[in-house]
Formats: sequence, structure tokens, C-alpha cells
Amino acid sequence: MDLAAQIRSGLQRQGLPTPTLEWVQAVLPNRNPMPPLQALIATAKARLMVVDITNGTVLDASAPALSPNLSNMEVVETKLSRDVLVQVLDIDNLTKSKWEQVEELEAIARGEQTRGREMIRLPAAGEDDDEVSYSSASTQALSSAPGGARGGNGASATPKNSTHRLVLQDCKGQKVHGLELHRIERIGIGTMNIGEKILLKKGATVARGMVLLEPTNCTILGGKVEAWQKAWFDNRLARLKEAIESQGRDE
Amino acid sequence: MKILCVAEKPSIAKAVAEHLSGGRSETRNTRNKYIKNYVFDYDFGGQPWGNCTVTMTSVLGHITAVEFPSEYKDWRHPPPERLFDAPVNTVIADDKKDIAQNIETQARYSQGLCIWTDCDREGEHIGHEIREAARKGNAALTVKRARFSNIERAHILHAARHLIMLDDRQVNAVAARIELDLRIGYALTRFLSNNLKSLGGPLANLVISYGSCQFPTLGFVVDRYFRVKNFKPETFWSIKVKHKKDGIDVNFSWSRNRLFDRASVVILYERCLAAKTAVVTKVQEKPTKKWKPLPLTTVELQKMSTRFLRMTGQQAMTAAESLYNKGFISYPRTETDRFDKGMNLRTLVQKQAQDTRWGAFAQNLINGGFQLPRDGRHDDKAHPPIHPITYAGPSAALNEFEKKIYEFVVRRFLACCSEDAKGVATDIDILYGEESFHAHGVIVLERNYLEVYVYEKWTGTAELPKFTLGERFEPHEAMMTEGKTAPPSYLTEADLIALMDANGIGTDATMAEHIQKIQDRDYVRTVPRSGRQGGGDDDAEDSDEAPAGRGGRGGARGRGGRRGAAVPQQARGGGVMEFIPTRLGVALIEGFDRMNFETSLGKPFLRKEMELKMKAICDGHTTKQVVLHESISQYRRVYNQSQENLNVLKAACRQYIFDNAAG
Repeated sequence: MDLAAQIRSGLQRQGLPTPTLEWVQAVLPNRNPMPPLQALIATAKARLMVVDITNGTVLDASAPALSPNLSNMEVVETKLSRDVLVQVLDIDNLTKSKWEQVEELEAIARGEQTRGREMIRLPAAGEDDDEVSYSSASTQALSSAPGGARGGNGASATPKNSTHRLVLQDCKGQKVHGLELHRIERIGIGTMNIGEKILLKKGATVARGMVLLEPTNCTILGGKVEAWQKAWFDNRLARLKEAIESQGRDE
Repeated sequence: MKILCVAEKPSIAKAVAEHLSGGRSETRNTRNKYIKNYVFDYDFGGQPWGNCTVTMTSVLGHITAVEFPSEYKDWRHPPPERLFDAPVNTVIADDKKDIAQNIETQARYSQGLCIWTDCDREGEHIGHEIREAARKGNAALTVKRARFSNIERAHILHAARHLIMLDDRQVNAVAARIELDLRIGYALTRFLSNNLKSLGGPLANLVISYGSCQFPTLGFVVDRYFRVKNFKPETFWSIKVKHKKDGIDVNFSWSRNRLFDRASVVILYERCLAAKTAVVTKVQEKPTKKWKPLPLTTVELQKMSTRFLRMTGQQAMTAAESLYNKGFISYPRTETDRFDKGMNLRTLVQKQAQDTRWGAFAQNLINGGFQLPRDGRHDDKAHPPIHPITYAGPSAALNEFEKKIYEFVVRRFLACCSEDAKGVATDIDILYGEESFHAHGVIVLERNYLEVYVYEKWTGTAELPKFTLGERFEPHEAMMTEGKTAPPSYLTEADLIALMDANGIGTDATMAEHIQKIQDRDYVRTVPRSGRQGGGDDDAEDSDEAPAGRGGRGGARGRGGRRGAAVPQQARGGGVMEFIPTRLGVALIEGFDRMNFETSLGKPFLRKEMELKMKAICDGHTTKQVVLHESISQYRRVYNQSQENLNVLKAACRQYIFDNAAG
């Protein structure tokens, strides 16, 4: 077996879809002697994570794709029939209102969150602001337990009860929504990249056209598509505002 | 040997004289009708003074003021920026000349001076002013200072026998602050007034006063105003589960709380229904407490007064000061929220036992219910938390505000010496399909401190029925609900104080004054909070209802009596007041913000830095000269930038004051 084929099967053994031999050839380093096989497989994998998988020259035509009817909202429930590699096109935090996200972004833009001159906004002004910092056993603390959590007001940390919705794309360019059914740590705005690769596993539930994501039915592989990532962040504020406006118009 | 004692105000002089003389002092009039000299003998106990003839007198706050020489009287020439380095003279204010003269004259006959001003930075500086006045009469005086935080007899006697030195660091910090306020305030007030005059209309004859605390304070109000005004409501969806067991209705709330996407909630909801039964995944019953309050600080006193006593922060401070001057409570300007372990708190509790309202509660504490107060994390090392000193019965000669503040101080103190409220909390988690829901119930068992501290409530939620782990049931009802986000509320005075506190604007003692100032200047107005009841701001965004009638606001203007309009608008009739900026207030802050300085005058950062520098002077980390130099250069830089970008400020004024959208 030649080197490219060995790398290909190495990737397959990791559960990844098969890239074309041409693509593998192209990512092989131009060195003599060649580095060990394991290093080459790792290199190929890393390269795979940062490409657009819809590019026809990357994955073999046999690479698994989503079934064409998957995003049909009429279907109450179905399961994925095989593992499918997808890439992330968009992330939305459904727990936060868009306006809340706009305010955070604008505060950052005004420089109000840079260290040393932090403009401290009201610490959730309640009846008992004294208590909050002290109580661990008191009822004040209980009210912020998972049940009644208000979603923290901090900008960075993603609270435990956050629910995200992703737009995922397979190698054929088909898009499907992924809904975070159970919290997955790596999903979050700022922690998950655009273009990041996820391996959806066989048996994952798809309800009314949405893949229900759980830690057990998907593997976050990492990676990103640099250009997409930049564009996504650059336009985020405008997108949020536009979405708010269009919601206003619909009513 | 003769000793001159000088207090900060007549009431303190009188009380101290009373204690030191054992009531046998001779009272002499001075040329100032408010100031008396009390003459008596007292034995200081030999450190450094022994048996002395004492003259006890007082000042009326500051006796000196700073001002620019007369050639700077004209607002245009020399140009305002010259005020950053113009000479500054310290002079005795015209109405304080007879007071200073009294001290000078008395000092001539004395070998020692003992200062009895209030123990805080401002008091230290007044002590310095007194020392300077006295030295004019006798440069060889020995100067001492008494440290005290209330005028209870034993405390005063102890202070008189444990004299300390005047703290020159604190004096210097205040001197720096006074000079900076003068230079910055005058320069920018003249700059603003001169330049905005040309816009005509309401600005033609207006003095636009700048203060380095006022502007950031105004900035907070404007910031919130825009957050309310720009707010965009959004629809959210949720799932609620209801169940009835043992005759008790239980509401389970969704662990996701709410999501801003209908389709997602529909799918999750449908899957709940499909699951038919829910399973109990957690049943927890455990003791819970509601913590008693921390010992009372100035900031907390002001916040609570605006929230529960229908007073402004300033009214509360005035009443508290009067109570202190009359000897009923301890010094009301303190950051300390922990009692010194050496204090005999039980004695203070005992004094309240005679009251008909809270006497029984106090007696209960004495009979064994007493618990040490919680310790907060702040200690200004000068004063204890605010607490009652002597008992003031219902017939005490107090005005309405003083009575309310006294009652609050007492109830807070008794609450501190009592026990946390206790109850049992029950938490039940269920899994319905793949979704988790939660029910929380509290049963209050012992109200404890809540009995006396009527400002807080802890109403137990309804009891929850018994569930067992692993139990399956079919919920009676599961609903998908829809709601809309609502804007935050305008700031209340309590919010504003909290913001100033967190951002280091003003000291706890001056915050209320700054808040009053921006109202007097007509930069902000207060209006009664409309609609929505009670909810704190944290609830506002979660409210399901649309915000009730807060229509027609905008920048209601109206000139009219600027200064002098100090009539407190709050505390009239109804409930909580909200702060809304006037058009002028919005224009000024927007103008400065749009100049896009790294350090807009409308933001708290510059002032915060200045406050930190004052503290550094007190701690000996820097000096008055260094701070003056740094702060003046900083503000001069901002001044120059403002001059260059004047058109931006003018445009903001045209936009907000003259409704000229071109800006």
C-alpha cells in the first residue's frame, strides 16, 4: 500500500470519512525521508479540520452525507443511519436575547470591559445585594440553582443551562440545524469556531429536522475555517441587529 | 495650664463640655450667635496635659475656602484653561471671620489645643484649619486630637484621656481634592458656559456647571436612559409543568428557563408530551436560612432609606447627622460593616428594651437570644458601623425623618444582634422526556431577626407534596408559554448610589450631595416609578408583561429656577422615584462621549482614579504635590481635547436640546 493509502486508512480507523487520494497527496510534506506514519496521519487530520469539506476535491465521493430528507419538519423523529462529518456554519445562543448580546458587544466596543477601567454595571439590584456575595447556604443562592437560573450576566462564561443551536453542513453542502439537547462544554460563542468539525454519530436523534446534540452522539473534532470565523465575528453585531429588526417587522 | 478645645459644630462642643465638666461649666457668648465658649476644669490624666482650665468652643464646618485671585474673576479673560495653573489662595470665608477670630484670641491664653472635629478626612482638614487659626494667636501651641465616633459619656471621657495627633496625610488628601475640584470645576464650567452660550435659546444665559463627580453621576443616569430607550423587546418561549398531588398544586419550572427560538421549544415540548410520564430524579430537603443583615454603613443607610423610608439619600444623611449631633446614634459616615470585638453590644441592646415597639425583642436578646453580628469585609479603622447610642423614646424631640432614621438604625442594630431566619427548603427535580424541571419550596420555621427588621420579607412558598426518588407520574398539565422581554427600569436613587459606590464616585458621605446637585442643575429629574410594582431590576428583563405606561417621556425640559430648586422631589407621597435625564443632561453626556475620548468626562474612570489617589495620599503612598500635578495634567488634556472637538458637543446640544437631527 502506498503512503497516501496508508494515511487514508489511518484516518478511516479514527472514524473519519475518506479523503481523496489526490488531497492526501497534496498535503504530504515535501520531505525526505518522510516523517513517521503516525505524524503524517496527524498532519492530514489537522489539515482536514481546517478545510471546507464541501470542496469536492477533499472527500471521496463515498464519504457519508446526511440523508436528503433529513431536515423535513414533518418527520417527528428519525435516527442517523451512519456517522457523518459536518462543519459548523453558525452558532446561536438561544438562552440569551439578541438584544442582550448586542448590549454586550457594544459595551466591549466602547472599551468598557478592558481591564483597569471596567465600568461596573449594577450588580443585579435586588433587595438583598448584601447577601449575594455571602450566602452559599441561603435561599438567595438556591434561587440561582439550575432550576431558576437567569443565565449569568457575565459576558464570557457560558452558564450551565445554556442552549445553543448550530447550523451544520455536510460534505454535500446540505445544511441541518443542531440543537443542544444536553449541554456540551465545547459549544459556545467564542469557544466553538466557525468551520469547526463535528462527527455526528450513527443513531443520533433527529426531531422535526433538527439533530438533537448530546455529548454521547457527537464528537467535537476541533478546527476552523479561518475566513469564515473572521467574517462571522466581524458581522455578528450587524446580524444580531438585523435579526431583531426583522422580528420587529414580523409582528 | 490652659487648654483650648475646638469641635466641628456647636452641638458637639456642648455635649463634650458637658461630659468633661460633669455639667459644671461656665458658658460665654462669642461674637457669633451660634458659637459658645464653655469654660471648666478638667484633668486630662497627664498625657501630655494634667489638670487644666479648658475652654471648649467650636467652628461651623470649614472656616477657610480656596479661591482664585481677583484678576481671574472674568469668565473669558484670562481664558478658562489658565485656571489649571493660576495661583490659588486660601482665605477665611467672610462669614467665618468671627469664628476664626474667637479661636485666635482664645489660643493666645492657652498652651495647648485639642481638636474635636469629626473623625473622617473632612474633619481632619477642618482640624487643620483650626490649628492654623489658633497658631496665629499662639505659634507655640501643643496640638492634639481626640478620636471619637459618638458622644456617649464614657466614650468621650476615654477619648479625652487618649489623645492622638492630627493626621497630616488626610489633611493633604482633602487639600488636594479641594484644589482639584476648584480648578477643574471652574475651568470646565466656564468653558462649557462660554462656548454653549452661542447656541442661543435656553443656553444663552445658562451657567453649565461641571463637577468631576456630578458628570459621571449624570453619566450613569444617561446610560440607563438610553438602555431603556433603545431597548428592543424580543419574544421567548418556555415550558411549564403543573401537577397536583396530595391536594397540593406544584409548578415545575424548566431548567432551560426560556429560549428565544420557537421551533426549538416546540420540538422539546413535543418530546415531553410524547414521553407521557415524568420521573423524579432528585428530592432534597434541607435546612435553609435567610441571613440577617450586616452592620450598617453609610451607603447602605442611604440605599435603604430611599427604598423603604421614602427619603432621599440626602434627607437620610441630614437626619442621621442630626441624630448623631444629639447623641442618639454613632457617627453616620462610616464604611465599616463589622463591630469591634471589644464593643459591649449587649449594653446598647439593653437600652432599647424600654421601647414599646421593639423593646420586647431587645429584652429577648438580653435574656439569651443575643448573637454576635456578622462581620462584613470593610473596616475604615475610624468608625464602627452606625448603631444607636442612647434611647430616644417616641416623645423625643425629633422630626419625622429623624424618627424614621432612628427607628431604622435601631431595628437594623437589633437584627444584627439577633439570629438568622430559619426554614426548610425542598428541591424536587423531574425528568420529563429529556427535559428537566424543578420545583422549589421553602417553609419558614423561625423568623428570628425578621420579627424586628420589618424591611425584609421572607414568605415561604407553598409547601410541596411528598415525592420519592424514582417515582413516575403523569403531569396534569404541560404548557408551552410565550413572553416578551421588557426594558430595564430607569435608575432609582438606591441604584445610583450603588453605581457610584462600585465605581468610586464620591465618598459615601458625599454621594447624596452629588445626586442632589444634578437635580438642582436640572440635568436630571425624578419621577415616580410607574406601573410595574416592586420588582428589582433583575426581574425587569424577565417580566412577561409589557412595561406599563411609561410613555410620553423623552426629554421633558422646562428651564425655570435652576439653583435653589433644592426642594427634594422624592419622598412626596408615593413610592420609589426614578431618575431621568433632561435634554440638557443627555446633550452634555452624549457630547462628551461622542468626542470619543479614552476618558470621557461623562464616564467614571477619571474621577475614580482621583479618588484612589486621595486614598494613596492617606496611606502614604504618594504626596499631594504628585497627585495635583498628575490630575491637573490629565484634566488639562481632556480640556484641550474638548476644545478641539467643541463642534461635536455643540452638535449633540443641537440634536437633543433643539431637536435638530442634523447632529
